[in-house]
Amino acid sequence: MAPEISNLSMFFLIFFVLIPVSLSYLYSLGLSGSILWSSFRGIVQLFLIGYILTYLFSLEPLTGITIMLTVMILVAAFHASKKGAGIPYVRPITLCIIVIIEIFVLAIWLGFQMISFQPDQVIPMSGMVLGNSMVAIGLALERMKSEFKEGEGKITAALALGAKPEQASKILVRKIVKASMIPNVDGLKTIGLVQLPGMMTGLILGGVAPIEAIRFQIVISLSIFASVSLSAMFVTIIFYRFFFNENQQMIKIEEN
Amino acid sequence: MGSPIPVLKASNVQSDFLRNIDFKVSEGEIITLIGPSGAGKSSLLKLLNRLADPESGQIFFYNKNIKEYKIEQLRKRIGMVFQSSSLFEGTVEDNLKFGPSLFNEWKHEEGEKLLEIVKLPSDFLSKDVRELSGGEQQRVAFARTLANRPEVLLLDEVTSALDVKNVEVIEQFIKGIVSREVKAVLMVTHDIKQAKRLGDRTFFMCNREIVEQGDTRRLLTDPQSRRLQAFLKE
Repeated sequence: MAPEISNLSMFFLIFFVLIPVSLSYLYSLGLSGSILWSSFRGIVQLFLIGYILTYLFSLEPLTGITIMLTVMILVAAFHASKKGAGIPYVRPITLCIIVIIEIFVLAIWLGFQMISFQPDQVIPMSGMVLGNSMVAIGLALERMKSEFKEGEGKITAALALGAKPEQASKILVRKIVKASMIPNVDGLKTIGLVQLPGMMTGLILGGVAPIEAIRFQIVISLSIFASVSLSAMFVTIIFYRFFFNENQQMIKIEEN
Repeated sequence: MGSPIPVLKASNVQSDFLRNIDFKVSEGEIITLIGPSGAGKSSLLKLLNRLADPESGQIFFYNKNIKEYKIEQLRKRIGMVFQSSSLFEGTVEDNLKFGPSLFNEWKHEEGEKLLEIVKLPSDFLSKDVRELSGGEQQRVAFARTLANRPEVLLLDEVTSALDVKNVEVIEQFIKGIVSREVKAVLMVTHDIKQAKRLGDRTFFMCNREIVEQGDTRRLLTDPQSRRLQAFLKE
């Protein structure tokens, strides 16, 4: 039986909000307003999503899952592509990358019966994969722009030696993919040792036996790892070409 | 018998950074390009191996428009060394073989010969480029470009960040490779004395155009244009 938190208990969370507010006041940080507003907004958003999820879980699985995944994918694509402002077609291509990753991950989960096609399983699991992909794509796009700017000399030198754009870009692409994967590699090494991962914690609190909870955690951790790696790889192999013109000359990407 | 075919020829070239560019470069020549900052010297070099393209006018490499060459082949044949060495991560050998490997032409034994040309010991091949001094890095950058066996060498202020000793080594080596390894050199320099030491002919550029061109000694001792006279007095 999952434990419940009463409304009164929830009310006393006010103490956790008052601590940073007091510190802000004490040190004249000028953050009191932001802390109160972001706490209030966060609570309202979570309650709202709680009611939406309750409604979606009550629908036919195909309908509920389709509605929620569409919204999550659109929001993820919109936010991730903001980091690539100035790169041509960044929004539609980012959307395609996220859709491909979601389809791939869902196919593995459902094909090998790791989860069932139920909204209460597909939606939260997909949310974690999409959220991490969104961050990875955003980071890769941001990194790509800065690497192409800082590495302009090396790319120009490679082009001057007769390299085609894809050969010249390889010098930087390796760095970008590696940088995007390292946080996940490091995260997996210490998983469970420093803090219990969110999903596992949630399942244990929900009454699931720890040994069962870790199975779900392994599924989600490795799925996130794969989707983050794929995101970085897709971003680099697709977007590098927009930094060159048809005459194999480097062009500058200007932010709009 | 007609006059020999020029290695490079530019005819009425115009771009955002250049106007009315006309010149010929013959085999065995070292051309030095001098002029104030922003005159268009580096922009001109970049047009010659198509790192940029002009808006109008034509450039010929051995009487053939450079647009008719395959870009990678043109850049292999017209090599370029930049002010910053821009070496790639890895060892000296990784850098030397970068160009030839693109055309499946790399042989390990080439590495030692290339280092010999730029006066570096052969054990440098396995050194990480991060361990090299600025002068050594620039010499490796030269060797990396020479590894492609270019026929023309474009040098964009390659000695401006180096100490006297390294400048001397590089100047000697530039004199040595013309006719032997490469057919012609075009070199941007801010150093008038260096232009005197190296240039057979000099182009003086100012305000995006070649204001005066001719024999280096004549040009620098008897400048015709007011702008060159003023520049030499600075």
